Amino acid sequence: MRFENLKPYFPWITLVALVLLVGAFNPSFLSLSSMVSLVADIVPLFIMALGMTFAIYIGGIDLSMQQVANLVTVVATVYLMQFGVFVGLICVAAGFLIGAASGWITTRQFVPSFVATLAMGFIALSGARFLSGERALSMNAEARDASFAWMFGNTGGVPHEMVIAGVLLALAWFLQTRTTFGRALKAVGSGELAAISSGLNVDRIKILAFALSGTFAAIAGLMFSVKLSGGDANLANGFLILAIVAVLVGGTPLTGGVGGVINTLVGTLIVVVIRSAMVYLEIDATMQQMVFGVILIVAIALTIDRSKMRIVK
Amino acid sequence: MYQLKKVDKKFPGVHALKAVDFTIGRGEIVGLVGENGAGKSTLMKVIYGAYQPDGGTVTIDGKTVRFQNPRQAMEHGIGMVFQEQSLITNLTVMENVFLGFEQQFVRFGVIDWKAMAAAARHQLQKVKLDIDPAMTTAKLSFAQRQLVELAKVLTLEERIDGDLVILLDEPTSVLAKEEVELLFSLVRELTSRASFIFVSHRIDEVLELSDRIYVMKDGEVVDVVDHDAAEVDAIQRKMVGRDVDKEYYREQKQKPFDPSSALVRFDAVSVAGNYQNISFDLHPGEVLCLVGTEGSGREAILRTIFGLEKPSSGSVIVKGSPYSKATARAAVERGVGYVPRERKIEGIVNGMNVYENMTLSQMANYASNGVLKIAEEKALARQWIERLSIKTPDVYKDCGGLSGGNQQKVVLAKWRSGGSDVILLDHPTRGLDIGAKEDVYDMVREMSDAGAGIVLVADTLEEAIGLSHTIIVLKDGVFQKRFDGSPGDKPSLFDLVHHMI
Repeated sequence: MRFENLKPYFPWITLVALVLLVGAFNPSFLSLSSMVSLVADIVPLFIMALGMTFAIYIGGIDLSMQQVANLVTVVATVYLMQFGVFVGLICVAAGFLIGAASGWITTRQFVPSFVATLAMGFIALSGARFLSGERALSMNAEARDASFAWMFGNTGGVPHEMVIAGVLLALAWFLQTRTTFGRALKAVGSGELAAISSGLNVDRIKILAFALSGTFAAIAGLMFSVKLSGGDANLANGFLILAIVAVLVGGTPLTGGVGGVINTLVGTLIVVVIRSAMVYLEIDATMQQMVFGVILIVAIALTIDRSKMRIVK
Repeated sequence: MYQLKKVDKKFPGVHALKAVDFTIGRGEIVGLVGENGAGKSTLMKVIYGAYQPDGGTVTIDGKTVRFQNPRQAMEHGIGMVFQEQSLITNLTVMENVFLGFEQQFVRFGVIDWKAMAAAARHQLQKVKLDIDPAMTTAKLSFAQRQLVELAKVLTLEERIDGDLVILLDEPTSVLAKEEVELLFSLVRELTSRASFIFVSHRIDEVLELSDRIYVMKDGEVVDVVDHDAAEVDAIQRKMVGRDVDKEYYREQKQKPFDPSSALVRFDAVSVAGNYQNISFDLHPGEVLCLVGTEGSGREAILRTIFGLEKPSSGSVIVKGSPYSKATARAAVERGVGYVPRERKIEGIVNGMNVYENMTLSQMANYASNGVLKIAEEKALARQWIERLSIKTPDVYKDCGGLSGGNQQKVVLAKWRSGGSDVILLDHPTRGLDIGAKEDVYDMVREMSDAGAGIVLVADTLEEAIGLSHTIIVLKDGVFQKRFDGSPGDKPSLFDLVHHMI
């Protein structure tokens, strides 16, 4: 086996090795119940990472996701009383529109996606701060339970948030592997010029990819908001870097075209294991961002396809 | 003084240089000719240090040298004047001339611009260019930039001991006639300072300028002729290496086309900056070949048919109506298929497998409500793998890992299986070996038998003549002449070359 052939399995190997390693230090980590609670805990992050996968799969990136999620927590909290469960639709629509706007700016105004989404992120942040009046808002507990209690129930030991994550993963996987849209995403990610010469509407595909990442960010935000029973312009902070790390560590490189949503599942699990390992190893909470920053750099350096990037700026 | 002995260079699947011997003496001008893919560029890259040879030796004045990069070659007096100009257009002329060698003008950590300007003026004098060295390069004409490039290379004279060897890569391809003559007289004068290697596809120019001419074919030097003994005819025959065989281009399979209807109709079409006032009809079953040098507008015409270029005047009718909005998508929907020159970048998607590539342009035919019918895709791929004898282990093989010829077959299968009947071929045989070329020629004949109209920009003139029913010769974007090429009554190379240049 050559190194290149092994590369696709790296994320799996890493995951198993990490689980065993942490398990060796702390056998209780390997118990089913602790694992389930650990996994259920990171569902919003996983959903955000799923959305990020679409942006990175086409060779772009979406830096607005965290702010979109922030905005959505505020929107959900503010309008819950008025619209009940339908506030979810408003949130999803907001995410879709912000993502589509980033896509439009990228494809039609030729602003690279990292700038376009960064800028849209700040616009969303402003919206969140304005709407919340820069305060931490809390949800009306009755209205929340009436509309969204189903999100965090538990049926036969299976937490509902895990079911939601599973459904979204299946949906994203189906979209990626079984639909013309998914095939087009792959073509754009691995050979955009060939996709254009085959008559694909590349701009529309890219706009939709960013719209999808915005949508997933909104769903993640909604779950946060319900879980923490409130909204705040900073609620989802810290999750952007984790989502990017999850996608890249999972094996979807920044250059796009390979990897996908299953990889992101593995990547997210790796992130979770590392995070809980840091707790077990009593690494100071203030160090976490630094550790993930370093992992991000290493992950990109290891996975990037240099033949596709002649110039790095 | 500068010598290559038995130099070999291999790339995956291609033996680009086969034991090449090459010598150049002090003050000599050596010509280098060959068809596309004969190994000229590879040889040049070995000479100026961009490639390292796999075998053989490079010696300067008897001493063996090995260059890891162009900079090391420059330090040994070897400079390159690039065809695609290497000047950075937003810098001034002097900054370009001394790019990478500014240290000599640095005083107390800052550049002494006056000293640099004076030095640049001295260099520009060598090429008789009287311009302000502080001018922005973008403001110069193309010919002037070429001279600045030459001046840049001539700075080596002051910088190194020993002799200079300067490579000129197609220096005349975009110059007007008078400019070419000026350049030539300049080069002759400069032989007192340097030796020159002159690479061009214009054989007459090479003959005029060079003391000695190396003729390359398939990675080998097949002949070395002296200026006095050189004849265009003989050199051309050596370049091709054979009298062109009629069967090679499947001429016996060429059938008359149906002139009563037109698939594509160009009526006085211009694209500003590319070509002007071009008219032709493409009929079912016709192979129409656009002939001209690089930049003559042939590729732009293909791009116009494919909707990638908007005509600035005139009308383009594809299958009965003009494009309402010119995009590649609109063209594909009308049954136009494009086989681009950059096969690995625009032709196939590197990273997608055989069936994914074949259905990429026609996914709607293999999906219902956006959900792909992958089994049908695979069946299609198997059918075309069989039909075109594509060499691939299975339909799951990444197309990036196929050989060039098989990649090309996948691209052709993509268009033909989708029912495209206007096929645009841009250098379809570039970089293919002979067997793969013949496969492509067979496919061209099959497609025109099936009633497809083909617009071809060929890799070589022989290919253009051999394959086409109709030849349109272009020069600088202007129509020159139209030839009919029914089998047995084909125009000759010289008929074409005469109108191209």
